[in-house]
Amino acid sequence: MTKAAKTSISREQLCGYLDDSLCDTETARVEDALRHSESLRKDLRSLMQERDRGEHSVGAIWRRSRLTCPNREQLGSFLLGVLDAGFHGYVEFHLKTVGCAFCLANLADLEEQRREAAPHTHQRRKRYFESSAGLLRGKR
Amino acid sequence: MASDSDRLLVQQIRQGDPRAWDHLIARYEGRLLAFVQRRLHDRATSEDVVQETFIGFLTSLPNFDERRELQTYLFTIASHKLTDHLRRNGRHPLQNAPDELLHLKLDDNPAASSMARSHERRMLESEAVARCLGQLIKDWQTEGEFGRMKVLELLFVKGWANRDVAAFLKINEQQVANIRFAAVKKIGDFIRDAGLPADVFPELHVADAP
Ligand SMILES: [Zn+2]
Repeated sequence: MTKAAKTSISREQLCGYLDDSLCDTETARVEDALRHSESLRKDLRSLMQERDRGEHSVGAIWRRSRLTCPNREQLGSFLLGVLDAGFHGYVEFHLKTVGCAFCLANLADLEEQRREAAPHTHQRRKRYFESSAGLLRGKR
Repeated sequence: MASDSDRLLVQQIRQGDPRAWDHLIARYEGRLLAFVQRRLHDRATSEDVVQETFIGFLTSLPNFDERRELQTYLFTIASHKLTDHLRRNGRHPLQNAPDELLHLKLDDNPAASSMARSHERRMLESEAVARCLGQLIKDWQTEGEFGRMKVLELLFVKGWANRDVAAFLKINEQQVANIRFAAVKKIGDFIRDAGLPADVFPELHVADAP
């Protein structure tokens, strides 16, 4: 069990886990494997120490700079099905196979905007504003 | 890279402009809520975490570097607030794992990096690689070379083995090895041309010539 759990999680997946960039299914899988495998926890520990020493990976930079993330407009066009076939296929891959948590959040938000009645959104935004605006400069 | 419109918004918020703050909330709250809700599966609690995220943003505003992408910065704060929340409620998935592990994850803060190489040095290296890869990716997108992008994203971002990438994309292993080799060579040349040591990226050395 321990061995299987460990071998099915790659170093880059652990790295993505630390960046919170994995989709929820994958996050759950990594956490489950971590709970069951001391040796995977050891890997995670050494990965964190490496990161703290300033060692970095191409994958980490790719994720952090969001190099292949489509922008909001492109995600909107994806939803409408108006992208070129090649790019459409790529965006689908980025969402489903890579499971990019940031793009999935943007997509869910765009879908929600199409559905949600305005008053709800307005109320929520008002609440965020009122709970934080006191921190604005000159308001203290 | 930060957009001009985000940068302007942040500047106005720094001046204490409530309309700009209102604007920023409207622009980003939906995606932050979706991000948090995917982990918490509870609407009301997720809204609380988003609220803490915005408060956290204003609190940390004096330290925010405007060259950073605003969305990425907000997602980072949200992810910290999310972890805090889970821990406070005893719901963090690593709660029962050794304490040390949870603390490592919570204290994971690139800015706190202390030893070996300086923060600036690391930033330079990261920026060089990001610029090079960004240019390569842009070229591939223009040329419609999405197959290449998929191969490299699975190799570098997901850490899949050549054989798994080949099987998944239904191409042969040699093609995967060639794509990896060509990309590694380009990035390596770029790093050298930028006058940076190439040995800081171990994965750029493991690939042998096909
Ligand atoms: Zn993405």
